[in-house]
Amino acid sequence: MRLGTVIGRVTLSQSIPALKGGRWLLISPFTTDHFQRRHDPPAGLSRDPSLVAYDALGGSAGDTVGFVEGREAAMPFQGPTPVDAITVALVDDVFYVP
Amino acid sequence: MLMARVQGSVIATRKHPSFEGWRLLICQPLSASGEPEGSPQVALDPHGAGLHQRVIISSDGAATRLAVGDPKSPARWLVVGIVDEPEGGGRLAS
Repeated sequence: MRLGTVIGRVTLSQSIPALKGGRWLLISPFTTDHFQRRHDPPAGLSRDPSLVAYDALGGSAGDTVGFVEGREAAMPFQGPTPVDAITVALVDDVFYVP
Repeated sequence: MLMARVQGSVIATRKHPSFEGWRLLICQPLSASGEPEGSPQVALDPHGAGLHQRVIISSDGAATRLAVGDPKSPARWLVVGIVDEPEGGGRLAS
């Protein structure tokens, strides 16, 4: 997984049936800079592209979350689901020594 | 698989149940010359790798699901080995 900051939520009025009722977060991923300057993070969006992730944990804007990208993101679902990013942890603390 | 250096760990109370009880290590991928390359990944660690040790991390989700024992786990990155270091550990040259 990678870490990122939740920068917003996404709601869908139309979606395929498999994704009905899902909760979606807009996440700006941490780069090395964010880890190094954890208490004084670089302003604005991360250099890495932001992404939308399925959220089953209840993250909200400003939270630091861990998210998994790739095929593994769809594993918790029943049957094939077109999800390629999912939050897996609401981060309490990061211990980082470069 | 990527060579990476352990640079810390992550604490999370609220997480997918399959992550329960696992160490979550911040692993900075390294280039061929040993320089940091790309954004850090957080990997599950069954080996007890130490801070600043070099490790090999694998993105094989199937192996990670087997390791955590949950066929529906979204876990992906796993520390699959700890690279041999000269005695004393720490960083090589730099």
